[in-house]
Amino acid sequence: MSSSAGSGSLARYILIRVILVIPMMLVLLTVVFILLRVAPGDPVTAAVGGHLPPAIIAQKRHDLGLDQPLYKQYLEYLGHAARFDFGTTITDNQPVLNVVRDKGGATLTLTAGAFLVALLIGLPLGRLAGRFRDSGLDAVIRVFGIVTYAAPIFWVGVLLVAFVATHFPSWPTYGIASAQTTYVVPSHTHILIVDAIYANYWTGVFDILQHCVLPCVTLGLLITGVIIRLVRVNVIQALKGDYVEAARARGIPEGRVVRKHAFRNALVPVITVIGLQVALTLSGAVLTETTFNWPGVGSALVNYLNERDYPAVQGLVTFFAIVVVIVSLLVDILNALVDPRVRY
Amino acid sequence: MNRTRQVAAIAGVAAVATVLAACGSKNSAPSGSNTAGNYILGTTDSSVTSIDPAGAYDLPSWTLQYNIYQQLVTYQPGSTKPTPYAAKSCAYSDPKTVKCVLNSGQEFSNGDPVTAQDITYSFKRSIVINDPNGAWSLLSDLSNGSTKHPDLADGAIETPNDTTVVFHLNAPDLTFIQALTTPAASIIDPKVYPSDKLLTDGKDIGSGPYQLSQYSPGEQAVLTANPHYSGPNTPKAAQVTVQYFNSDTALSTAIGNGQVDVAWRTFSPQEIKTLQGNSKVNVYPGKGSEFRYWVFHTQKGPGANPAVRQAVAQLIDRDAIASRAYDGTVNPAYSTVPPGFQGANQAFQTAYGSPSVAKAKAILSQAGVTTPVAIKLGYTPSHYGPNSVDEADELASELNKSKLFKATVDDAEWNQYQDLEKQGVYDLYQLGWFPDYLDPDDYLSPFLRDGGFFVNGYTSKKMDNLLTKERGQTDATQRGATIGKIEALTAKDVPMIPSWFGQNTGIANKDMTGVEPTLDQAYIFRMWLPSKSG
Amino acid sequence: MASVMSRAGSGIRSFFATIWNTKGLARYMFWAGLVITLVFVVCALFAPWVAPYGFDQTAAHGVDFPKLGPYDSTHLLGTNDQFFDIESRMIWGARTAIEVVLLSVILAGLVGVPLGLLSGFVGGWVDRILVFLMDAMYAFPSLLLAIVFSFLLKGKIGSGILAAALSLTAIYIPQYFRVVRNTTVSAREATYVEAARAIGAPPLTIMRKYLFSNVVQSVPVLATLNAADALGTLAALGFLGLGIQPTQASEWGYDLSRAIDDAQGGNWLPAFWPGLMIVLLITALTLVGEGLNETINPALRRRRLKPVMFGPRVPADVVGTGPSGGTGGTFDNAAADMEGGRP
Repeated sequence: MSSSAGSGSLARYILIRVILVIPMMLVLLTVVFILLRVAPGDPVTAAVGGHLPPAIIAQKRHDLGLDQPLYKQYLEYLGHAARFDFGTTITDNQPVLNVVRDKGGATLTLTAGAFLVALLIGLPLGRLAGRFRDSGLDAVIRVFGIVTYAAPIFWVGVLLVAFVATHFPSWPTYGIASAQTTYVVPSHTHILIVDAIYANYWTGVFDILQHCVLPCVTLGLLITGVIIRLVRVNVIQALKGDYVEAARARGIPEGRVVRKHAFRNALVPVITVIGLQVALTLSGAVLTETTFNWPGVGSALVNYLNERDYPAVQGLVTFFAIVVVIVSLLVDILNALVDPRVRY
Repeated sequence: MNRTRQVAAIAGVAAVATVLAACGSKNSAPSGSNTAGNYILGTTDSSVTSIDPAGAYDLPSWTLQYNIYQQLVTYQPGSTKPTPYAAKSCAYSDPKTVKCVLNSGQEFSNGDPVTAQDITYSFKRSIVINDPNGAWSLLSDLSNGSTKHPDLADGAIETPNDTTVVFHLNAPDLTFIQALTTPAASIIDPKVYPSDKLLTDGKDIGSGPYQLSQYSPGEQAVLTANPHYSGPNTPKAAQVTVQYFNSDTALSTAIGNGQVDVAWRTFSPQEIKTLQGNSKVNVYPGKGSEFRYWVFHTQKGPGANPAVRQAVAQLIDRDAIASRAYDGTVNPAYSTVPPGFQGANQAFQTAYGSPSVAKAKAILSQAGVTTPVAIKLGYTPSHYGPNSVDEADELASELNKSKLFKATVDDAEWNQYQDLEKQGVYDLYQLGWFPDYLDPDDYLSPFLRDGGFFVNGYTSKKMDNLLTKERGQTDATQRGATIGKIEALTAKDVPMIPSWFGQNTGIANKDMTGVEPTLDQAYIFRMWLPSKSG
Repeated sequence: MASVMSRAGSGIRSFFATIWNTKGLARYMFWAGLVITLVFVVCALFAPWVAPYGFDQTAAHGVDFPKLGPYDSTHLLGTNDQFFDIESRMIWGARTAIEVVLLSVILAGLVGVPLGLLSGFVGGWVDRILVFLMDAMYAFPSLLLAIVFSFLLKGKIGSGILAAALSLTAIYIPQYFRVVRNTTVSAREATYVEAARAIGAPPLTIMRKYLFSNVVQSVPVLATLNAADALGTLAALGFLGLGIQPTQASEWGYDLSRAIDDAQGGNWLPAFWPGLMIVLLITALTLVGEGLNETINPALRRRRLKPVMFGPRVPADVVGTGPSGGTGGTFDNAAADMEGGRP
């Protein structure tokens, strides 16, 4: 990611970009390690509630390797991370990789659904706002975008749940599926909805979709604000482009100009920036999952944080870091494919 | 980019997906065999450390274990006295020896017979594995005491025949039989469980009323009736689904509109109040054994003066704390020993009567203390629920209103709090307690001997003597009298002030039966008792 | 050239002139946001006089406040579950919010701006390493970072306003760094800086006199947008129980989390008010930030008058081709951003 400009082929750019992932991961892993080890307290005192004799606490610490010098713990951690071995959680004895596997599917479902909602609402609204810039409509849409972003997820979520629970008592308000669906659907991919489709269990698929609505809308609204703003500004800028002027000059109606020319060109930067909203989306997912008891990585992380389960938190945060790094890698490559100026 | 290739790739993926979907059509509809009585239990106790008895010392794990495994003895609903369970009889031959005789014909859920040797294997295994999260410390009466190579002490367990087991304890201990009620003393199948490491969760085999048929950690556990179970606790519901919640808010919505049938542990007082007004559910305020109290640092600050401690004990208004901070969902505590236990009394009520500023003033002026006394209260927001701050605020305002004290409130994260409290950063600090077993001693020795586990600096020869005496007394009446003396001495010396006892609250839909009896001080959720009608 | 030099000298004045000269909706939204923000600032400054009671007061004139009391003449918005007067909590909450946000934004700026200036000016491997580190920090989901930091700081300095502000600070340093660095990199090559260098100005002078005033223009936008974002994160921390305790100060996120149980029981108001406060202040700050952005970003600006002149030019991609206000995504357009002022 250096700023030095140079002439390089696409292949070289991608290669450099891929190589850069390694030091980037290293920095993130180090940050994770330092943050968690500097924090006061440790899983032993958190778990046993302080009424065990000091000798037994020392023994437990030793068993977990917490009495080792920090640099040793650090090297050990890096070594394990390189082998994708994040150890076993202390509080519930699960291999961290299993937790990521089991919960990752739910988080994926949630974020995918949320993006879908956000795009469905955000794209048309942003386009409208951009086209009718400075009109009353623009103002309304922009304020809508800002408010959906400003409204705390947990607030919106809880209000939605309370509303639905009062007026549609049979609509599910928590979890990813009913007990029956979770019980019946055999696990292959660990993404419940895919498994349900695979098992041809359509009652279950419908059940899962029902469960998805509230959380996806809640998280989706947060992203909607971002998308409206992005699309709007990019449409405005695209409308100033030469080709748009040329299209106008040819007498093509404004609506068609926006639809066929400006909007499409506005989408390119939007797609790349959306990719980079992953960090925001994951932050939002933590809160959404907590509010809706969604069995995802985010709510698991909050639980493990509260229990000071180092291996679990380390593993999950590392997982988040990997996702962010990979997505930014993909976006950069996509960007380079689309826009030759980006390569260096 | 080559668009044609892209389209071809997408088409290919779609085709594969369609074929896969067609292949997977074998197991479509769920089996709806016997669903009468089946119910869903929702709980926020979601951190199941391990279903293997050797790997857990926490209520969420124990809740599953109580239903999957049998112990030699157990608590009948509502009782604090161990009664035979997998054993026909279990009794002390002398304070160092316990002899149990097993019921005959018991089987594990895979059909293997339950024998006395299985007990030796189970206990030895737990001690040998010595898991950091395990409850092997409850079996320390049988261990060789080594930290390097922990094992059963030589000859600690004898099995003269297939149905008899004799425990030889390291030292006289009348609470050992209480420890036998805990899942730490569960009986497991030696053919299934490796002797030196934990079994992977989900494959567990026990001899309890239920067997585990599906388990997704943190999400749900499905228990079905164990077909090989022959004991008295035949399940009323053939299948129980436990759903785990990470927030009480989601759980209270779920029980409120019937998405779960029973909700057990834990709710905020506001939620309980809300649900009490919900016509679709019953709220059962079961008797609990959770205990909340305030501890004085007796070496530093104002708490070093017994008169100051007595004055606070004179001023505290427990009824106001229960109603204002907890919406009446807790019971005021006037002794450290919960009501219903051997020797329990109302020592603080007897010594101080109702809260009185005049009496407190007299205590302080008699001791020559200049008022107002500055006092710093401590609480932790991250261990005892969101209402602990309300209790701290309430107590501080009671003290301030008397004009005898100038109370301030401070807090720290749970981890930090435990250290700060021992350093004497707080003059009076809030702590909570869950008993390991239901014996009054578990509410006395941990607090009162040598400054207690919280190291508040309180020592008293007289107290130590009474505690030693109580532990060795086998006669119930005599022991009760000694315990009464200990409580009275606590009220006089005031190293700590009892605040309240919790309730074991359960909430059930109106079409559920059999929930109420299991909500007792043992915190065993006996899943075989409830069932759903209609 | 002359106009560029004068701009370097009087960045602030021309900045406000630019705002004033902008026409259209952007201006009205900007003013609306500014007015709402100012109302909150006034509440914050004069909380002890505006609020009828203290933030942790549960009784007045010897009378205990009711629990979840309805609104009446003594409690305009009623009381909440903790016996607190909601109106007073909201007003004191404004003070907490503004204190925390101001503190964290200033601290982040104090670290991020000089660091970015240095990195962009010095260049070379220092620049590369710093960019790299900051990118890594930035890639982290901000809420997670805040959660971990608040855990870390609570042990050291308790759960007050300072701890909350510091745990937010860490999140926003990389953003200042990136923006300032990129502006610096582009400004470094500008003719007037070349000229200054040619007449022998020492590096420190160049940084202070020429680069800083240029760079500082992009900071207000970033600061307001970050303030909005910080407020959201503060509330989230409070909601998760990791923020400021009720005895330390009044914090909307905490009040909201406590009121949610009441909302489920049908008593909406205690949860409604703190939520509304959060939404209002974040919206207002975002409006101000976006207004500023549209104003000083030539790609988006529409002028009230259109004289033929070369106005102040801040590189377009610095202040956001990714114009997502307050999302932390504002400066996410890494591809463009990293190129540092490519025309």
